Amino acid sequence: MTKWFVSISLLLVCLAMIPPALIARQRAVTFTKPRIHIIQDMDAQLKFKAQNPNTLFNDGRSMRPPLEGVIARGDLMEDAHFYKGVINDEWATTFPGRMPVTLDLVRRGQERFNIFCQPCHGIAGYGDGIVNLRAMRLMDAPLLGNGTTWVQPKSVHEEAIREQPVGQIFNSITNGVRNMSGYASQVPTEDRWAIVAYVKALQRSQHARETDLHARERAGLGDPIDRRPRSDEGGGE
Amino acid sequence: MGRYHYIFPKWSNLLLPMMILGGAIAPLYVVMVVAYGFSPLTTDVGFQPQQPVPFSHKLHAGDMGIDCRYCHNTVEFTNHAAIPPTQTCMNCHTQIQKDSSQIEPLLNSYITGMPMQWQRVHDLPDFVYFSHSAHVNRGVSCVSCHGRIDRMEIVTQMKTLSMGWCLECHRAPEQHLRDPDLVTQLGWGIDRSLEQMIEDGSFWRQQNNLNPSQDCSTCHR
Repeated sequence: MTKWFVSISLLLVCLAMIPPALIARQRAVTFTKPRIHIIQDMDAQLKFKAQNPNTLFNDGRSMRPPLEGVIARGDLMEDAHFYKGVINDEWATTFPGRMPVTLDLVRRGQERFNIFCQPCHGIAGYGDGIVNLRAMRLMDAPLLGNGTTWVQPKSVHEEAIREQPVGQIFNSITNGVRNMSGYASQVPTEDRWAIVAYVKALQRSQHARETDLHARERAGLGDPIDRRPRSDEGGGE
Repeated sequence: MGRYHYIFPKWSNLLLPMMILGGAIAPLYVVMVVAYGFSPLTTDVGFQPQQPVPFSHKLHAGDMGIDCRYCHNTVEFTNHAAIPPTQTCMNCHTQIQKDSSQIEPLLNSYITGMPMQWQRVHDLPDFVYFSHSAHVNRGVSCVSCHGRIDRMEIVTQMKTLSMGWCLECHRAPEQHLRDPDLVTQLGWGIDRSLEQMIEDGSFWRQQNNLNPSQDCSTCHR
């Protein structure tokens, strides 16, 4: 009779459901195995893109690090003022000629400071960034800390640091200081000078005097605020 | 009974319509399975390779809010958004969590100078020349192509990165344009409606005079 015919048809329909079900599953989950490209075209060519591995070398790098002592064209860094923050073996107290201090430079410095410095130094430079907070918390929880040792970054508003010449601040950013790593490889030279300009602006912002204001703004200040508790407020508690 | 034995049974009349039906459905079925199954939504989205160190973008970029550019610092001036060298990790991890077993490969790399074998998650075909700087500096946020990285414990491919998907945006980029200063704020605009995003994007498109090209040679050289 038709029984076998119906069974085979049903079986075929059921089998036909399997591929869509597998595809639906594949779409819904994450996977760690390499992506399968059914039509390869020329997706993977015999060439090296940036940071691709190369089995030819022992370290697996396709981007070869320069040999020791090699200086690329334009990387001689002759201008000690610009590249090292030094003039005649003394910390430079002025910005290099090619980095005129403008509002744009300070704004650039602000942006770069908030990217590269703020995580540890805090948005205002007091050494209270979120990485610092987390490190402090990890030190308080030795089981979670896994050997965390952390020294809070110095506040850039400390007097000793406020008095540092710009060349010395530039050098600290470039080569690091105490526990801080150098940022020469992460932040281009121009941007490091921009950060110096912003740090100087930050420092000034926290130690501003009335005389820093324009006469017009000073006139709007009124009398100094009286911070003594008023008698009618009582003791509070 | 005997003489009917060699006559086709009555139900065999059904065979022809069934075969026509099957013949009509089968090609449709194949086309649908191929379209559905070979689509990059199936083959590429959801790729989550295992990394040598379980680096959490959620912790670093999300909870702590470290800017994307702290590590991927070349993104603004080169085509390639660099995977950071071990040194960048060690800016903090010479001190923080330094005895953690998860960080051991990092320490080994730092001591020996051998590079970390990070696995590439977002990989375009080798005949595509994509420029990160061209997009980021014009106000296309990281989130448009990479998704909410700041919420990912393990980075996963969220978008197809297919040519059709690229062209969708190149034809009508407004939805993905914003103030170039906000490109690394992945959560920005989450409270806005699509209309607001398009309105804002139109402003930045006009402001920066953006006319994304749809020429072949823009991406294929």
